Amino acid sequence: MPETYENGTEIEVKNLNLWYGDNHALHDISIDIPKNSVTAFIGPSGCGKSTFLRCLNRMNDLIPSCRIEGHVNVSGEDIYSRETDVVDLRKKVGMVFQKPNPFPMSIFDNISYGPKIHGMSKKEMPSIVENALKSGALWEEIADRLDASALDLSGGQQQRLCIARTLAVKPEVILFDEPCSALDPISTSKIEDLILELKKDYTIVIVTHNMQQAARISDYTAFFLLGDLIEFGKTNQIFENPQKKETEDYITGRFG
Amino acid sequence: MLNRNIKEKGIESLLFAAGATAVIALFLLCIFLFREGALLFENYPVSSFLTDTKWLPTATKPQYGLLPLLLGSFVVTVGSILFSVPLGIASAIYISEIADPKIANVLKPVTEILAGIPSVVYGFFGLVILVPIVQKTLSLPTGQTALTGSIMLGIMALPTIISISEDAISSVPRSIKEGSLALGSTEWQTIYKVTVPAALSGISAAVMLGIGRAIGETMTVMMVSGNSAIIPGFPSGLFESVRTMTATIALEMGEVPQGSDHFHALFAIGSVLFITTFIINIIANYIKRRYRFSL
Amino acid sequence: MFSNAKLNEKIAFALLKVAMAMVIAFVVIILYDIISNGYGILSIEFITSAPRKGMTQGGIFPAIVGTTYLIMGSMIVALPLGILAAIYLTEYAQPGKTTWMIEMAINNLAGTPSVVFGLFGLAIFVKYFGFGDSILSASLTLALLILPIIIRASQEALLTVPKEYREASLALGVTKWETIRKVVLPAAIPGVVTGAILGVGRVAGETAPILLTGAAYFYPRLPSTIFSQFMALPYHLYVLATAGTNISQTRPIQYGTALILLLLVLFVNVIAVTIRSHYRKKLKR
Repeated sequence: MPETYENGTEIEVKNLNLWYGDNHALHDISIDIPKNSVTAFIGPSGCGKSTFLRCLNRMNDLIPSCRIEGHVNVSGEDIYSRETDVVDLRKKVGMVFQKPNPFPMSIFDNISYGPKIHGMSKKEMPSIVENALKSGALWEEIADRLDASALDLSGGQQQRLCIARTLAVKPEVILFDEPCSALDPISTSKIEDLILELKKDYTIVIVTHNMQQAARISDYTAFFLLGDLIEFGKTNQIFENPQKKETEDYITGRFG
Repeated sequence: MLNRNIKEKGIESLLFAAGATAVIALFLLCIFLFREGALLFENYPVSSFLTDTKWLPTATKPQYGLLPLLLGSFVVTVGSILFSVPLGIASAIYISEIADPKIANVLKPVTEILAGIPSVVYGFFGLVILVPIVQKTLSLPTGQTALTGSIMLGIMALPTIISISEDAISSVPRSIKEGSLALGSTEWQTIYKVTVPAALSGISAAVMLGIGRAIGETMTVMMVSGNSAIIPGFPSGLFESVRTMTATIALEMGEVPQGSDHFHALFAIGSVLFITTFIINIIANYIKRRYRFSL
Repeated sequence: MFSNAKLNEKIAFALLKVAMAMVIAFVVIILYDIISNGYGILSIEFITSAPRKGMTQGGIFPAIVGTTYLIMGSMIVALPLGILAAIYLTEYAQPGKTTWMIEMAINNLAGTPSVVFGLFGLAIFVKYFGFGDSILSASLTLALLILPIIIRASQEALLTVPKEYREASLALGVTKWETIRKVVLPAAIPGVVTGAILGVGRVAGETAPILLTGAAYFYPRLPSTIFSQFMALPYHLYVLATAGTNISQTRPIQYGTALILLLLVLFVNVIAVTIRSHYRKKLKR
């Protein structure tokens, strides 16, 4: 595991265990996620990588049978402590989901939804929306139809809209849960370019089942298997010189 | 942040209160119904209420015997079930298993029209059309009989029975049906040996709810069954005039002074009616939940 | 043996078809009878004037007004209560004793005969709270009667809102209630409206509960306050058909009243079904 990062550490996880009812789904995970870089979680389906990602903004709170032990610090604050406000946490740690999930509203209303609820004034909205869409690499395509329904956009555009919607809330961290699995290759590469652009200002964590994608865009990679974190390190080290046999098996198996 | 959490908690409590209204309403309903009903027994023994064979509330020495009314409800309900269950289940099978899906999509809303017609309109139709037909066909002194009530109630129970049975039958997994067909059974053999038995719990729930609807129905029976409070025979009682518990309440409440024995007797009948439908509902919901397909 | 099975199937299918045809025939005959006998009397005068000469002539205006008041009165109470209860059950309630009790209560209220609601309304609103035989008592009674319908329809509507919408909003750091108010409820509105409309149909057609809580045999004036008695369409039909001064002479008026009632209820149901199916199709897309 890398000891120090040049930009510092954003998220520290210590001895995290998670149960769904009696099913012990994550075992004693400890990991430090670096600031302003892209960290990828890879592993076969059912390995717990998405479950772990959802621990980082407490989306697992929505599942009644789910129980979590351990510590997760985001920029120094323990997010599972009593004092933590989940709503504030999720403002700071945004999330983009597997399937694009725009609200059934106009493009403008989708982006302004978060800022409006968080108390930004109506006057500021047009510039907030414009900036978010620009950062989301969507502005040029749709600047002239902000009033159109978000549901009329293509899948790739919808996903970039969802990214822009997250950006509008001004998070520090963005979690991506297999953001390209429902998209075609061209849309996928647009999103990948966008992620590389975003890491200048944000800490990015991305779950992906696509190892080439992890290799292309991430700085660090964590490999999960059956609820265990098997190996974590610099991406080129994980792919070129894995330390654990399981990691090697997985990577070579896939790369053929 | 604290403020926001207090607001969220407050809203949740408010929503909970709205949900709890249903429980409170049911609770108050029991209290008020049973309390008014129980007042009868200060002056009239429970045993007489349950065993007296006559309902003579306006006699000089009034008798509040439940039996004729209970049996009246019973006869009409049994009659309606004998009529509506076979018809309803057959239609449900037709809609879900035989009819072309396009036609089924028309048949379903058409049968649901029956659920929308107000009971007083059924009663009116029964009174004007069915009563004379029953009288002429069977050459009875009056067409206002238990049979007439049963037929009208049967028609009214049809949409309940059809829609719930249809749900149950169409939720039987395709794989089970295909298994039977692949063994060389005809479609009909598959339906009555595999599909219907597999859907039986849902169908039973449908029948229970249909019974509940029939027992509780007021206006229709009151308008077409003649309302004489005499213990009916069975099946001969089908061709005589009967009076149900519901009709008694609706007919007599307008004329009794509040707080009289007669007033309380009507609440006592209401309590019996409520307990009956309560039990039927519990059973129906239990069956429905217990045997739901989890595939 | 083979041909036997085939023959059985033919007979069985024929019988099923006959059963289905009978059910459809009931619908057609009832609708045809009411419509063909009722439409002749329909006129502007019939729906805008009061009954005259011991209800043997004139129109049914007071009954239409009374039924309208009942619809408004019961909806004002049942609609917000039902929607809030549905939100609690679908969005907040955890499985457990309390939730089970609420669900059970709703199921049993839904199955309780309307005449029992009438008795309850009589005991609690007319007598205990002293509202008397009035629009208020009848509206509150009907509100309880349709509460389960509105809760169930709203629950169904809320459940069809994809959970992705909720997740997306929560992940933006929006509170649960704001999420429900801004995203979930707007998406569920068509289903909620359907439930409300079905409730309207039910209120318009119910007779037994209002018979016990304030419907008047004859009340030619329009109700002036919520404590007035009132006429209502279904009760008016019952009165004319069974207890009028001259039953056979008023038959056309009876059919006219039945038709107005039927049209009102069917119209309302058609709207509800249309919204629902349109909405379901849209969701599937």
